Amino acid sequence: MSNKIFFLLVVILFPIYGQQIDIHSPKNIKKFADFLFCDKDYLRAIDEYKKYLEVVNNDTIRFKIALGYSLINDQSNALQEFSSINNSSALYEQSRIEVLKSLSLSKSDSAFYLLANNLINSKSQFSNNAQRLLNTSILLNENELPDKNKFLIPFESDDKLLLGNYYDLKINPPYKSETVAGILSAIIPGSGKIYTEDYGDGITAFLLTGLFTYLAYTNFENDHQTRGWIFTALGAGFYAGNVYGSVASAQIFNAKVNFDFENGLKLFLEDKNFFTPAYDFCK
Amino acid sequence: MIINKFILVLISLFIQLSISVYSQTDWVRWEKSDPTYQKKDTHLNRDFDLSIQSVSDVIVKPLINAYWFFVSDVDGANCPFHPSCSSFLVQSIKETNPFKGTLMFFDRFTRDTNVFGRLEHYPRYGNNHFYDPISLYTLDKEKIKIIPTNTFINE
Repeated sequence: MSNKIFFLLVVILFPIYGQQIDIHSPKNIKKFADFLFCDKDYLRAIDEYKKYLEVVNNDTIRFKIALGYSLINDQSNALQEFSSINNSSALYEQSRIEVLKSLSLSKSDSAFYLLANNLINSKSQFSNNAQRLLNTSILLNENELPDKNKFLIPFESDDKLLLGNYYDLKINPPYKSETVAGILSAIIPGSGKIYTEDYGDGITAFLLTGLFTYLAYTNFENDHQTRGWIFTALGAGFYAGNVYGSVASAQIFNAKVNFDFENGLKLFLEDKNFFTPAYDFCK
Repeated sequence: MIINKFILVLISLFIQLSISVYSQTDWVRWEKSDPTYQKKDTHLNRDFDLSIQSVSDVIVKPLINAYWFFVSDVDGANCPFHPSCSSFLVQSIKETNPFKGTLMFFDRFTRDTNVFGRLEHYPRYGNNHFYDPISLYTLDKEKIKIIPTNTFINE
């Protein structure tokens, strides 16, 4: 009998106790949102933080919402949220450098340059970070660069070496001349492609043109006129195609130089997290 | 006691009956199908088009269509590139002009003959082709879009 009563008590008390835990209390919402944020589930974390903000006004939460948007690359919402943090907040300076990052990612050039110069001149906590981001963006987007030494001043020694190389690449990109490639291939078939570092294609072009020229020559020599003309046409096709291809190859080589340059700098910026500070929200 | 047993039997019967009835409604998942074991190949999606839109089409289209019909489709899709060399010729003439298109074709054929260093040079298309689009060779710098070699493309 006592066992039955104990069993009944357990069955009844569990759901009653369960009902007493308010999982939707602001404290628990924040706890859950923090968990989602640190689990990099930013979109769901933002939803939970917004629920929390309906009850509690908190700048850190507003900043985390903005940061979440920035991390999922929703820069327009990130800009809106970062801008809502006013200058009385302890995270105001951080929000300004984050706005600069968002402007850089959303390719809003005029607003970016305006805010970057503003941050640099205001001598804020992150003036140097803004200067670094500005200089890297200039290297990425502008054709006219400042003096190299002046350009590298804000960076640390390791970055100076790397960005110094990128600076040199920007001033003297290792392009291949389309004209030289074409002329080289016109003189020696395939040499234009070797010049543009397509070694295999260059050697193949030389062999194919040489083979069909030889076949045309021997056929004419042995009075096989038809075959001679067919091989002449094929040899001429490969010769002209190779001159054309060498020019195209130089263009592709130069496009690859530009691609590698831009890609390298973008990876550098991502690696440095656009010179924004590191936050200890998930410690 | 007897009533209890009767109720238990009734519940158990109901569960068994409803499970078997429900499982019968799941027949769609197991319906008969006719699977095809034919290898998917983009090369077989030929556009056997003989319409004449330019003077060059009078010569090029019958030649290419005949090549596809009598040689390529019978021999199998052996071109390592996408688009295949014959499609490259048709598309390059369409994109530029007969003279430039022919030069592009001869250049492509040279690349096709070279078997060395393809893996390091071209992005992949599907499982066993290299991606080598016309847009890279028209000499129009705006059309050149570099795709890293280790990229897999599925259009």
